[in-house]
Amino acid sequence: MNFEVYNRVLHVDNIKILAVASSSLFMVGDTETIQLTSAFDTPPESLIIGPFVPLERDVTPGYADPNL
Amino acid sequence: MLTRISSVDNLKVKQVAFDSIIQLGDSCILNGFSRAIAVQREAEIFFGDEGNFPSYRIFKKPLPLPPITESITFLRRNINPIIKVNNIDVTAVSSSSILHVGNSRNVSMEARIKHIRQLLLEGHEQDIR
Repeated sequence: MNFEVYNRVLHVDNIKILAVASSSLFMVGDTETIQLTSAFDTPPESLIIGPFVPLERDVTPGYADPNL
Repeated sequence: MLTRISSVDNLKVKQVAFDSIIQLGDSCILNGFSRAIAVQREAEIFFGDEGNFPSYRIFKKPLPLPPITESITFLRRNINPIIKVNNIDVTAVSSSSILHVGNSRNVSMEARIKHIRQLLLEGHEQDIR
């Protein structure tokens, strides 16, 4: 496939953004490839009704250690 | 003309948080990754050592990216080699996001978020635990 692009004048006056979040990209420029993936999970079982039970403890070494 | 030049007169950013980047100038590889466990509780209660990412499927399951193997001949003719922006106003950049002024080559970004809500039983709204 042959893909030919003619870049003529590109002049923007004003850009107003509230937030760029969660591994998003805001770019002024050219790039060859962009690959974005995102997963958001809020299934019914993530709605817990009842007494507050703490979530599973973070066991990553060096993380969330209350003694640090 | 091989590449275009990005020209921004005015860039205003209020806040950059959680491993976000403002990149002024060209780059080659951008690789962003963020994961979050977002917990909302009906009462103000917070245990400091909670949240183990590997216990949730969403942080483990592979998100396959399609391989870039397209065989295309790509021809760019930059008749005007400038991308001009007068004014950019961003309130916040957060969670491994990137604000980039300039050219890049390969960009890949990934985000995984697990949202959990914990509510009290009806009639027990005054209880904390």
